[in-house]
Amino acid sequence: MQKAVPQKVINNRKPSVGRTLYQNKTLIIMCIPAIIYFIAFSYMPLPGIYVAFVNYNYRAGIFGSPFIGLRNFEFVAKSGKLWMLTKNTILFNFAFIILDNLLAVVVAILLKEIQSKMFRKVSQTMMFLPYFISQVLVGLLVFSLLNSDTGFLNVVLTRLGMTPLRLYKNGDAWPLIIILVHLWQKTGYNSVVYFAAIMGIDDSIIEASMIDGANGWQKIRHIILPSLRPTIVILLLFALGGIVKGDFGLFWNLVGRNPTLYQKVDIIEMFVYRATVSDFNFSTASAVGMYQSLVGFVLVLTVNTIVKKIEPDYSLF
Amino acid sequence: MKKFFALLLAAMMVLGICAASTAEEITTANATDVWAEKWADVDTSEHVVINYMTTGDAPTMGANAEMLAKLNERLTEVVNAEINIVWISWTDYLANYNLRIAAMDGSIDLIGSSTDWLDAWPNSKRGGFLELSPEMLQKYAPVTYATVPQNHWDVCTWNGNIYFIPEDNYSQWTNHGFIYRKDWAKEAGLENGCETWADLTTYVKYVKEAYGDKLIALWDTDGTAYPAGGYICSFAKWRSIDGLASGAIWGGYLDDPYKINCLYLEETDRLVEYAKLMKEWDEIGVWPTDVLSNTGADNRLEFRQGKTALEQHHTQTWTGIVSPKASTDNTMYLDDEDADAGFYYWGKEAGYVTRDLVTHGVAAVSAASKHPERTLMVYDMLRNDKTCYDLFNYGLEGRSYAIDENGYRYTPDTYVADNDSISTNWWWGRNDDLEIPSSAMNWDEINALYDEYDKIAVMYPYEAFVFDNSMVQSYINQCNETYNTYMKYICFGQYDVTPEEMVAEFQDALRAAGVDEVTAELQRQIDETYNK
Repeated sequence: MQKAVPQKVINNRKPSVGRTLYQNKTLIIMCIPAIIYFIAFSYMPLPGIYVAFVNYNYRAGIFGSPFIGLRNFEFVAKSGKLWMLTKNTILFNFAFIILDNLLAVVVAILLKEIQSKMFRKVSQTMMFLPYFISQVLVGLLVFSLLNSDTGFLNVVLTRLGMTPLRLYKNGDAWPLIIILVHLWQKTGYNSVVYFAAIMGIDDSIIEASMIDGANGWQKIRHIILPSLRPTIVILLLFALGGIVKGDFGLFWNLVGRNPTLYQKVDIIEMFVYRATVSDFNFSTASAVGMYQSLVGFVLVLTVNTIVKKIEPDYSLF
Repeated sequence: MKKFFALLLAAMMVLGICAASTAEEITTANATDVWAEKWADVDTSEHVVINYMTTGDAPTMGANAEMLAKLNERLTEVVNAEINIVWISWTDYLANYNLRIAAMDGSIDLIGSSTDWLDAWPNSKRGGFLELSPEMLQKYAPVTYATVPQNHWDVCTWNGNIYFIPEDNYSQWTNHGFIYRKDWAKEAGLENGCETWADLTTYVKYVKEAYGDKLIALWDTDGTAYPAGGYICSFAKWRSIDGLASGAIWGGYLDDPYKINCLYLEETDRLVEYAKLMKEWDEIGVWPTDVLSNTGADNRLEFRQGKTALEQHHTQTWTGIVSPKASTDNTMYLDDEDADAGFYYWGKEAGYVTRDLVTHGVAAVSAASKHPERTLMVYDMLRNDKTCYDLFNYGLEGRSYAIDENGYRYTPDTYVADNDSISTNWWWGRNDDLEIPSSAMNWDEINALYDEYDKIAVMYPYEAFVFDNSMVQSYINQCNETYNTYMKYICFGQYDVTPEEMVAEFQDALRAAGVDEVTAELQRQIDETYNK
């Protein structure tokens, strides 16, 4: 008893950093690869952002090159397209994030409900496959399906006596096509995270609800969806950080160099690529990257604050 | 004054004789002693590997390894060095090329470059290339230094420093135009082939009708070649300043080249004419309906195989197509004994072509090279030593090539490309003094065209001009982006408004992108350079 009192006093004091580290050593050892990764690839290169403000010379290096202020940012700003490009990029990503997660949750729940293990595995694999197809090939596949002269769709339409669709001559349909292709490619992969989360739900809760008379829909509505909420919120928050960064591979390979199409679906990356491909310049590229990161950072902070107000447990920090 | 000129002339002649004799000594097969004498006071005790970087896909088969082994024997004997080729494959070559130079890790020494199609000047200015002093060149690349005239060194100089060595003693023409089927043009009633744009239109109409079903397309292009400038310059004597952007937007008329303007603002009428003509070509069906997304095609190969009827590129490419034996891909000659390839070059109607820049191919030394001296020595040998030259350009004698009684190069009967071919993409140090003409080439037709060029060729007027782009690069980027966008509409008739409206929209977009600011800055610097 006498010994217990000082023990309690010690516990009330804030433990030293060393002690905390020691106490959590297993956890920390497990985190080391991730910590090294972030230090090496996210924190150590941070001073390199300075390259966006210099006229980079290979021999002088980043910090020895002449400082030129914001001139590297000029070319995007001067284009007069910055707002349009940012808006397009954000809207596309917004559509991707919402639809990705929505569809992934639906697919994960459907998979969970499939009774035949064999059928579940087969359908999961088939949905997963497109994720591994290179976007260059996806671009060619879509062209083979939709082109005017020999495309599958138009051959069928012509044979049926209908007017062929000149999709590569009109940009209107492309936002939809891009979103569909994106979903086709990514849904299988995205659903895995949610499927894992569903598998992590304690079976006894579901069993209890069944005993209480819950039907399938009620089970999903009141047990599975609420259990998925933290996963959904965290994935959304992560995704928002990159909302100003477009999926260059997808857009470039689908609409590529065809201005008739990209006028409708131009995103920051495509414009930067087109404008700078003949001017190999680290500094302007970094300037654009920095702009995207800053906007992303502000967005994450804002959304995190909102989430914190509504549901403090789900916020990132 | 007279005396001065007489002295100058005498001095030049003496220098000329010296240069000629040096070149001659070296061109003989076993010039080891001559080289040894030149580098008697250079320490070559350490054996080094010189990494030579070139654009192109590394050969996966053939005799490269054996050729390099022989070459390295020779290089080791004379300069105690060997060469290793670093390939920058064609996919995204420009970005990867620049990236490799920017890495500055000492992994490359000798760099093949160009001021018009590879970023020789940007890389010089950004510190990627080593400054080469005349003393250094004289000591380590003595033969090259003696044979390149001072005015050619001048065009490789910026801020008082020489940055690269020009491939200035190699005859080639890289002026652009359309390659077409001359036999089909004759069938269309064009006895002399296509001599005007009107002839080209007659030709495509005929071919579409007569052969349309048999061809993949008349021109299976991906919509990234823009002959608009070529069309205008077929009538107007105008020349672009190379190396500013991928689009040839700025330049001047040949009668007053230092008055800078933007071609597409100056020549509205001709641009409208061209836009109309291309709309007509689109309706004829010269290219696939979805031309702007037709990225999977390889029109040149298809042309060689007789599956298309037009190819847009330069004279040098045409020389390889008009010569049936120059490539195993040229199967159109096997399938059709009448097959023949003609060339319609931009400027034909106005009667002029511009000679190639001496900096169309240049060699530079990486600023991060650990052995710049030895790099220059190796370059000097590759360019001037007969043994090295033959190995590096033609391969193994008896296997990769043989020489006939007339002194022409030919492929021996035993030749199998997979075993005996070599590839070095050495486009930065070829030398007419050592070239062995190939018997596979159709010299009758090629020389006829070269003779025609020689009569009408003019010099590129901006060779001494190196543009400092730092103040206007963002405008150049904008203009280039605008150019690339609108050229696709105009050059392939992909627009629904009238040609006049299309051109006006393009011009407005160019102005909004800052074309006038760039013109003004170019004018200012041109005036400085040429002391106007």
